[in-house]
Amino acid sequence: MDSQHLNPSSLKSRFTARFLRALIKINAQKPISSSSPREIFQRYRRIKVAADKSMAYSVRSRRTWSRATLWKLRSRSRRRLASSGRRSSIKTRTTTTTTTTTTSTNHRAAIVEKTSHEKENKEDHVGLAVQAEELRELVPGGESMDLCNLLDETAHYIKCLTTQVQVMKKIANLYSLE
Amino acid sequence: MQPCSREMQAMNSLLSPTQPIPLQDLQPNGNSGTHQAQIHNPQFDPTSSHDDFLDQMLSTLPSCSWSDLKSPWDPPKSDETPPSNPDNNAGFHYDEILASKLRQHQINGGGGGTTAAMKMMMQQQMLLPGRPIAAAGGGGLTMPLHNDIVDGSSFKSPNQQGGEGSVQALYNGFGAGPLHGTNNQSPNQPQHFHHPQGGNMQTQSFGATAGTVMNQSQASGSTTGGTPAQPKQRVRARRGQATDPHSIAERLRRERIAERMKALQELVPNANKTDKASMLDEIIDYVKFLQLQVKVLSMSRLGGAAAVAPLVADMPPEGGDCVQTTAGGGGSLQRNSNGNQPSANNDSLTVTEHQVAKLMEEDMGSAMQYLQGKGLCLMPISLATAISTATCHSRNPMMNKGSSSNHPLLQSNGDGPSSPSMSVLTVQSATMGNGGLDGSAKDAASVSKP
Repeated sequence: MDSQHLNPSSLKSRFTARFLRALIKINAQKPISSSSPREIFQRYRRIKVAADKSMAYSVRSRRTWSRATLWKLRSRSRRRLASSGRRSSIKTRTTTTTTTTTTSTNHRAAIVEKTSHEKENKEDHVGLAVQAEELRELVPGGESMDLCNLLDETAHYIKCLTTQVQVMKKIANLYSLE
Repeated sequence: MQPCSREMQAMNSLLSPTQPIPLQDLQPNGNSGTHQAQIHNPQFDPTSSHDDFLDQMLSTLPSCSWSDLKSPWDPPKSDETPPSNPDNNAGFHYDEILASKLRQHQINGGGGGTTAAMKMMMQQQMLLPGRPIAAAGGGGLTMPLHNDIVDGSSFKSPNQQGGEGSVQALYNGFGAGPLHGTNNQSPNQPQHFHHPQGGNMQTQSFGATAGTVMNQSQASGSTTGGTPAQPKQRVRARRGQATDPHSIAERLRRERIAERMKALQELVPNANKTDKASMLDEIIDYVKFLQLQVKVLSMSRLGGAAAVAPLVADMPPEGGDCVQTTAGGGGSLQRNSNGNQPSANNDSLTVTEHQVAKLMEEDMGSAMQYLQGKGLCLMPISLATAISTATCHSRNPMMNKGSSSNHPLLQSNGDGPSSPSMSVLTVQSATMGNGGLDGSAKDAASVSKP
């Protein structure tokens, strides 16, 4: 298959390159024959993380959501590595444990609590506080932004997500045709 | 005692009560001094107690102040009669001198310097021990000034830019400043200005703005003089909108939000909603849908071994478009089954199936979630059939709800407990089937469990 990416520096091509590299690595790590659901789940998780990470990396740190995603992933992997007592390069490796770290969730919850008060005050007169809150949960890193910036981030996030989905679909097609 | 200079003599002559000089005489180079004298005269009652001090002050006046007064008044000086009672008027000379000095500044076109000069004048006046006199003088100054100003509007026309503006400003300043006598300037100024302004200063719109006296006069001088010196006027508001900085900020913020919403509308499909709330709902659902798609796709791309983790099926219960694509992606949901788990008995399966069928009727999202909770999944019928034919010969699909091309179906496996290997096969074949899911709307999904 050839690359249909006309613009080598576009978001799509950057993401594709990274993601493919990550996929190759993941596939090389574990033999595909593992049938334990747990491992399969791990694998899924790893791929998903790779996808998100690739996308966040492609965006660099230009956007709040990409920074938040990268930070989340890194802190999660760091915590896992610390707990398992191992040290390795965090760049593209994902962890091996499947347990969702509650610490990251707690941290995020703390952030949400802390900033929710201010957000409510600002949003009140606009009357969209509820949806704004929900959107904040969805968009990574959205807890600390006012509605104006949040909408901006959402627009970029949606654009990146659609790119991600497109690319992954195409790759899946490739896989399925083998 | 009075300073023996020609200017003082001129001033004294001005102070002598003569008939009111017609305003036509008020020319930039001329008769304002005489006019001043007339103005001053009726009000300035000599108070001898202040004379000595005033004399001292007057004697110490810098000569430059006189020189300013000298030139413009040279011509009319000869016309004026010598003052009759210089001593009595000594106290008021100072006021007059200051006033005339200010006027000269004005007349000479010092638009920007007007305020400073006037302020100086006022302060000097206030500083005088003869403050009541000054006030009275100022007050007295005001009234005839007003009268003159009213006439001055007609007078204005022949005169040109700097002159008329400055003179007018002078009048304004004098009318306003001494009015209060105690530096209380702003509140009453506009009203006074309204009356005398007449047609002349329409452009100034003094009534609307709430600048200080000095600023207004300055502005008047500046508008006619063309020099915008430190405009402190409020921003004129557009019709029907507030000038309050808070509301302006609010307005800006709302506009920005509206812009962003419009940009988002183009990104999100089915974005024909008009109000913000429903638009936000659309956006939220779309983001959730995209995240779900990424999850599903990442499960399907394992190059042979499918992920078996149950996915969160938080699908939006809307639009054919959304459900259609999700059916393609959602069909790869697999059950997180492991061989250790004993297979469920038929009863629960039937119950489950009924339950899910019911849920499917009303809301896809809830149906998926229900399945999730049970550890079941949806998968395309084609896939299920492939699995069943490939592995389990005894498999017969029990239920097949009427399906449209846009809805995943619920199909139960009525086999009963099957071998654990079934799960693996399901997984594997599901993987094979997954590649075909993307991009094509699968007609059916099935619930499979070993």
